[in-house]
Amino acid sequence: MTAPLLEVRNLTAHFARDAAARRVVDGISFHIDPGEAVGFVGESGSGKSVTARAIMRLAPEGSPVRWGGTVRFRGEELLTLDAAAMGDIRGRHIAMVFQDPMSSLNPVMSVGAQIDDILMRHTGLSRRAARRRTIELLDLVGIREPAQRADDHPHQFSGGMRQRVLIAIAVSCQPALLIADEPTTALDVTVQAQILRLLMRLRRELGMALMLITHDFGVIAGMVERVYVMNGGAIVETGPTDALFAAPQHEYTRALLAAVPRIEPGG
Amino acid sequence: MIRMVALRLALMLPILLGVSIIAFVLMRALPGDFAQASAGTSTISAEALDTIRRSLGLDLPVWQQYLRWLLAALGGDLGTSFTLRKPVLGELLPRLAVTGELTLIAGLMAMLLGVATGLASARLRGAVDWAVRAWNSLLLAVPNFVIATLIVLLFGLYFPSVGIFNYVPFAADPLANVASLLLPALSLALTVSVTISENTRAAVLEVASQDYVMVAKAKGLRARSILANYLVRNALTPVITVTGLQLAALLGGSILIETIFTIPGMGQFLFDSIASRDYPSIQGIVLLAATIVLLMNVIVDIAYARVDARVRYD
Repeated sequence: MTAPLLEVRNLTAHFARDAAARRVVDGISFHIDPGEAVGFVGESGSGKSVTARAIMRLAPEGSPVRWGGTVRFRGEELLTLDAAAMGDIRGRHIAMVFQDPMSSLNPVMSVGAQIDDILMRHTGLSRRAARRRTIELLDLVGIREPAQRADDHPHQFSGGMRQRVLIAIAVSCQPALLIADEPTTALDVTVQAQILRLLMRLRRELGMALMLITHDFGVIAGMVERVYVMNGGAIVETGPTDALFAAPQHEYTRALLAAVPRIEPGG
Repeated sequence: MIRMVALRLALMLPILLGVSIIAFVLMRALPGDFAQASAGTSTISAEALDTIRRSLGLDLPVWQQYLRWLLAALGGDLGTSFTLRKPVLGELLPRLAVTGELTLIAGLMAMLLGVATGLASARLRGAVDWAVRAWNSLLLAVPNFVIATLIVLLFGLYFPSVGIFNYVPFAADPLANVASLLLPALSLALTVSVTISENTRAAVLEVASQDYVMVAKAKGLRARSILANYLVRNALTPVITVTGLQLAALLGGSILIETIFTIPGMGQFLFDSIASRDYPSIQGIVLLAATIVLLMNVIVDIAYARVDARVRYD
């Protein structure tokens, strides 16, 4: 038994501006082992995205979030870490892919420059060396003619291609943990499978742990080893993916599973 | 891009034609004319007035006067000033240079102050935000000639060693020239800075809630780099627009500020010309000011394309 990569105990989150101080995450505990793929499933508002952001200590602009409990990454407490040290972890050791690729890239910078800047921030590469690595990364995520495309701006890419760029940004510094928050929700169905396959391949090649957040059990199947089911800011059920699919214990899990349209393999 | 600029420049011609007609007709619709204005309070015989009018072509129907003016203008001749008895064009350019310098200094001051207060307001929020917005509301409510008057009072009463009305020509002493324009520029800049500040604040707030800023934070980028490359560069577009248009308006000359500080620029020239019904000069000033506003619009559009690669003109 190895020590967990990420260990979360009794995590709470509530919006500080909220007068009622409603808890959106209500004392949850979980862990992710090194190299492990873990799924978080739940409907919108179940608290899974806020949980992911708590690990990164990211709050939406203008609505500060207060966190409680402990988030230990490689034994180090993140919730009380000073801002500079937290900045050294973000993007370097824990990286994140977001839901909407159409709005997640800076429209006035070339996509290459948006990979260069994270490389230069964390790896100390020169601008020129960073660009060479950027082109390798664009190639790695399946963008053709990466050397030319690096100078293009986001509006010149489709949604699927932009998500590939965002994945290239996330894996650029070979993080130990990649958090993917609904990475396929905003994409066409045909593109969704490609992006999931890309995430699986990169996870294997780079040996990353993956925290995959989704509302769709169909996305989880075949992707992750363990699942946490969230509802109303709490974890209602957890277990190995196969067991959960075969014999869901909680009523909410059964309802979520029933909501997945079935496509028989080979059909 | 080049085609866009050429097209926009070509489109200026009909607009300028329209402006020249409106200015021409409006000036002649004003009561009194040059002959009466130059007579002042002394009584002159009707014949003498008619002689003056005939010699200047003011006895012709307005449309004939306009056509004569237009034909000459197309040949590059904006006519001769009634009062100065010199070609209008030669009188305009040195005054434009003075106003241009004043506008440049005022524009720099306004941008520094406006962007700084707008950014501070949007990023720091809280008490800073409150103070900046109160300051902006105050400046917006007080017209620039009041600010100018207060500056004149302040320095005239308490710091008489600072010359307020001593405009120094650039050729005489460049440093003293710039120094003599600082206070007038400040009274122009304070008002303009409000627009820049409020637009910067709104744009930065809007940009700060965008997903790509969250992504930038998730990348662990330093606050300085997020501010420069993600927030400011995206917030710049609307700020460029308002700044460009405000500066264009200033280049037409601020009648009040130039009159208060006795600066021999376009504004003072326009004021004197209107008072004496010096039609050719007024016509020339209006035309030049309109040209500047139109050119500034084209420059603003070019600046967009430089800041934001999504903007393409083809």
